[in-house]
Amino acid sequence: VHIPDGYLSPETCGVLGAAMVPAWSAAGRRVRKTVKHRHVPLLAIGAAYAFLVMMLNVPIPDGTTAHAVGAVLIAVILGPWAAVIAVSIALAIQALFFGDGGVLSFGANAFNMAFVMPMVGYYLVYRPLSQRLSLTSPRRAFAAALGGYVGIVAAAACCGIELGLQPALFHRADGTPLYAPYHLAPALSAMLLAHLTLAGGVEFALTFGVIAYLQRANLPMLRINHGAVPETDDDLTRSPVRLKWWYALTPIVAMALASPLGLIYNTGAFGEDNVKTNRNRFLQKNHLAAVPRGLDHYANFWHHALFNGYDFAHDKHPVLGYLLSAFVGAMVISVVLLAVFGVIRLARRTLRPVGA
Amino acid sequence: VSQTTAAPDWLVQGEIGLCPCGCIGKRSRGSFVDKTLKGGAGVMRQAMFGEETSAEAGLLQRLDARVKLVTVLGLLVTAALVRHLQVLVVLYGVTLVLAAASRLKLSFFVKRIWLFIPIFTGLVVLPATLNVVTRGHIVVPLGSWWFGHRVGMTSQGLVAAGIIVTRVAVSISLVVLLTLTTPWNRLMAGLRALFVPRMFIQVLAMAYRYIFYLLAAVEDMFTARKARMVGIEGDTRGGRAFVTASAGALFGKAHALSEEVHLAMLSRGYTGAALTLESFRVGVVELAWTVTCVVLAVVVLGVDRALGH
Repeated sequence: VHIPDGYLSPETCGVLGAAMVPAWSAAGRRVRKTVKHRHVPLLAIGAAYAFLVMMLNVPIPDGTTAHAVGAVLIAVILGPWAAVIAVSIALAIQALFFGDGGVLSFGANAFNMAFVMPMVGYYLVYRPLSQRLSLTSPRRAFAAALGGYVGIVAAAACCGIELGLQPALFHRADGTPLYAPYHLAPALSAMLLAHLTLAGGVEFALTFGVIAYLQRANLPMLRINHGAVPETDDDLTRSPVRLKWWYALTPIVAMALASPLGLIYNTGAFGEDNVKTNRNRFLQKNHLAAVPRGLDHYANFWHHALFNGYDFAHDKHPVLGYLLSAFVGAMVISVVLLAVFGVIRLARRTLRPVGA
Repeated sequence: VSQTTAAPDWLVQGEIGLCPCGCIGKRSRGSFVDKTLKGGAGVMRQAMFGEETSAEAGLLQRLDARVKLVTVLGLLVTAALVRHLQVLVVLYGVTLVLAAASRLKLSFFVKRIWLFIPIFTGLVVLPATLNVVTRGHIVVPLGSWWFGHRVGMTSQGLVAAGIIVTRVAVSISLVVLLTLTTPWNRLMAGLRALFVPRMFIQVLAMAYRYIFYLLAAVEDMFTARKARMVGIEGDTRGGRAFVTASAGALFGKAHALSEEVHLAMLSRGYTGAALTLESFRVGVVELAWTVTCVVLAVVVLGVDRALGH
């Protein structure tokens, strides 16, 4: 996932680097608060460890080997905020002293591998899955490994989006791309294909193996970030399963955050060519000479929509129209959903037998 | 030869893949143990080589680390903003001149960059020269096998590939120039000029120090494994178990080390405050260098804009 210099425009590097500054400062503050002035040697060890883990060759079938990043592994052992700093520093050493990865693109690499990867893997996967598990539970190692898998895929997706935006945003007048040449669809799918299969599997194997090893051979290392977690399943006090409803919101929030991408690639959605958007294409595709009268009539029957064609004021402000319709649409759906949930809750409360 | 003195078969058999030319036995991809050991040795060699070259009496070695860091970053941004292949080629020439002025072996300097780029960047951008990816005027037609459409390299695609390859070469050259001419402790102190907090620099410096200590531990573990191996490593699953257990054990060692270092720091009066090397010297050389870099950047960007968009 390392992006070398020259693949990203300086603007992209600047934006992602600037985005990392608050993350680093928050991470610094949180780590200092939890481990006092022991944080310097602990973080230094974490960074050196991150560097070496990225260097280990993990054997995979067919005799080849591959590297893992290990950001989620470090997040599980030292905590996610410590992982942000440790992996960032490992990346900085790689870039500055060994010419691996870029110096200008350091911000982008840190964002993908030192921020998105440990945060997604830890907070979205590992923590929810391991909340009610004992420290030595095999399912905890599995949760960490799954976190590693999802984390590296998320980092690869970010990397693919960053690379895929380059040709659309930065090109010469004749269309010559100035930086990474692949558009969003091929860049993102190539990154995802490689990481959903090979790199994700390696990350999974490494994270699972190390956590399982620490569980059976060096449990105190897992205590660094899991202070009060009961050691075995017998010590566990079972509490009823509580699935938080907002877990379901995470993919929706992710899609909402990704919606501005549609501004850059405003091609129609797959399979949605209709009479209204592209008349000629519709005729050609269906081998018709003319649009049937009824179809024509009803296709243009409703034209009083607030944002007709995801727009208002006849395409005078296309960007604003797109963003506003995305926002209003998301809000309307949220309000409707919340209303439905409210009704369900009210019904359950009133229908519940007295005294239960 | 009697049966008792004959060497066992497995000892007589040539070990596959031992010959670097690969002409005896089957082709071997090399086991993960060898690769990791080789990688570790590479890290060591690179660091030691950097120490050596940064002690030479060249042009860039003479400059203050802060000035050098900031100006090289400026040149990196300049290279990133250029939109024409010709200008990038000239910039690459400038890095060659700088390498020569800093007493780096040119053959090494060129090889280090051009051995890496064709494999990674070159292969990756090759399909982007086709009209399937980068639309434009086809200059090298390659038949019509893409769902009946005409396929060929476009002028836009070729120029784009040239731009990205040269840009990557210029950027890596600049970074290599920086790292090979600056001792690592000076380079870290130089980060203060970029407003990096002291705490980060301290962690960075300690991490850099630990890497070599822990690298020795990794090498010990892997060498021990290799010493006990007969023949080639064929068991992927067992190999993976070994790598992950080693990584786990390595963390245990690293943590024990960090506790010891922390106690040592406390015993020497560490209070949590970090200090870094702050001797800042800007002489005539630094001034002249900075002015040259600024003029170079302005001229390069000016010419680039004059060539049109």
